[in-house]
Amino acid sequence: MIGEMILRNVFHRPVRTAISVIAVGVEVMLVILVVGLTSGLLHETAKRVEGVGADLMLQPPSASVFMAFSGAPMPIKIREKLEEMKYVRAVAPVLLQFNASGGLDIVYGIEQETFKAVSGGFVFHEGGELSAPNDILVDDWYAKAKQVKVGQTLRMLDNDFHVAGIVEHGKGARLFVPIQTLQELSGARDKASVFFIKLTRPEHTAAVADELRKVFPRYEIRPLKDFLSLMTSSNLPGLETFINSMIALAVSIGFLVIFLSMYTIIIERTREIGVLKSLGASKGFIVRALLSETAVICGIGIVLGIGMTFGMRAVLTRVFPTLTILVTVDWVLRATLIAVVGGLVGASYPAWLASRKDPIEALSYE
Amino acid sequence: MQNAATILAPAIEGFLPGEWDVDLILKTDNLWKVYRSGKLEVSALRGVNFEVLPGEFVAVMGPSGCGKSSLLYVIGGLAQATRGHVLVDGNDMMALSDAARTKLRRHKVGFVFQRFNLLPTLDAYGNIAIAQHIHGNGFDPHRFEVVTSMLKLTDRLHHKPSELSGGEQQRVAIARAIINEPKILLADEPTGNLDTKNSEIVLGMLRQLNRDLGQTIVMITHNPEAAAYAGRVVHMRDGVIVDGVPED
Ligand SMILES: Nc1ncnc2c1ncn2[C@@H]1O[C@H](COP(=O)(O)OP(=O)(O)OP(=O)(O)O)[C@@H](O)[C@H]1O
Ligand SMILES: [Mg+2]
Repeated sequence: MIGEMILRNVFHRPVRTAISVIAVGVEVMLVILVVGLTSGLLHETAKRVEGVGADLMLQPPSASVFMAFSGAPMPIKIREKLEEMKYVRAVAPVLLQFNASGGLDIVYGIEQETFKAVSGGFVFHEGGELSAPNDILVDDWYAKAKQVKVGQTLRMLDNDFHVAGIVEHGKGARLFVPIQTLQELSGARDKASVFFIKLTRPEHTAAVADELRKVFPRYEIRPLKDFLSLMTSSNLPGLETFINSMIALAVSIGFLVIFLSMYTIIIERTREIGVLKSLGASKGFIVRALLSETAVICGIGIVLGIGMTFGMRAVLTRVFPTLTILVTVDWVLRATLIAVVGGLVGASYPAWLASRKDPIEALSYE
Repeated sequence: MQNAATILAPAIEGFLPGEWDVDLILKTDNLWKVYRSGKLEVSALRGVNFEVLPGEFVAVMGPSGCGKSSLLYVIGGLAQATRGHVLVDGNDMMALSDAARTKLRRHKVGFVFQRFNLLPTLDAYGNIAIAQHIHGNGFDPHRFEVVTSMLKLTDRLHHKPSELSGGEQQRVAIARAIINEPKILLADEPTGNLDTKNSEIVLGMLRQLNRDLGQTIVMITHNPEAAAYAGRVVHMRDGVIVDGVPED
């Protein structure tokens, strides 16, 4: 009977309930999507960098694992020192450049031969290798997303590139140009942002890394095997803050809408609360009834939110095929918990007010 | 001012011998109710002495504003008295906490109001059953059957309040008030919103409840014809009971 009363009350004002449900749904969707987008991006970047196939990478001092945010590039001469080291089979210098036109992409400036030596070479879907200074390779995802064809011109970094080939994705970046061209375009003559190092055998990784640390004391030396685990949002303080603020924003939406909705509910039901009190309902009974009602609204909102998440993910990945959105059970559960707690906290003050209403005033309320 | 022991232990045998009759279902002793709003004070009750025996049907009459509703609220524990004592079935309301008064009301008092005050989202059945649930002993089909058939509600149970006539709504409200077998039923102008025909039906049913089930009833009314259904009529004026003095 209490359950029936709660359910009937939930559906008594369908529009208000719908708004609350949607707010909770948006809250849940925002949390899952923001986390899914950032972790998808990180995961995908990490996998691509791993896909280069190197054993170690050397970056300038205090460079971030997020290579796009690397500091000042290093002199390319360092390569010679690296090549002299024991167990080193190949060294590929790469210059990184952000391309912000039409999305955020990282462009790799590569030496075709050394990059091939480290990574084992590209798998070509179409076209062929970089042969002229203005040639560019794009990966299949990029080609599909931007509808790029071999032979066409691609305007990037204030330069007209000629699309020489479309390659299988997963080799560090989605765009590759000759390193000299990128050095000129970005004013970094004879510079490289990162050296990918391939060893004779992967087992030597630790030994070579130790040796490198001695030779290049302040440089960042990272085994690529750990790269995936290093690519977490906590390694990038700004990203962590961004995620947290987005979650806070989502929670505020849910909290405020539930708060307001419950606040209007208890004003609207003042008389009914008085009636329940005249029947001997305790304060606890009234609080429980209102919180149960909130829980039902949150429950529907969460289901809707999870549905909206998958719908939104489908839409986003269709519109932006290069996007990876990782929806994990872990974060679905967390978003659920966040929504339930946020909703109950939002409802608790109105519920407390309701439980304290003077029954006589409540019964004479018009 | 009485000492704490007498206030806290009203049910102890030998307590105030001769003054509190153990047989009384209700007794008020020099009961005061003062409303304060800011600096303004209104004394709605100014020393009410009122007694009701088990099984009585008492009508309380008096001019508007004389404190009838206030008296009922204080008896039913919806409001706290300012001074004096209220004993409901031997329990002194003045000595109880808010939570304990709520519990006492839940178990011993039923309320019926002039405005029927049914829960609009529930049907008649739900309105009655919810009182049983709040009471905490769960649904009692036998009691439900007895009450609803006596109030002739059997075929109206699955209608929402908005689909019921005023008389039917008030009968549902009465059913809800007595479903848990309260010691005392408090009705505040139960026919105030009803036409003559429905008033007669409702009053007849109250009398039947009183006679057949022995339900103790205190009913407020303005209407002498309604008061005539009661076994005893008391009059109030200016916050006191003025028995024997006829109404204006
Ligand atoms: N909450 C309140 N605050 C202040 N004064 C109040 C309050 N409730 C009632 N009063 C005053 O107390 C007095 C008694 O009110 P009460 O409602 O008990 O009268 P009543 O006999 O039931 O009147 P009626 O027949 O019109 O229902 C009135 O003067 C009223 O204005
Ligand atoms: Mg009144």
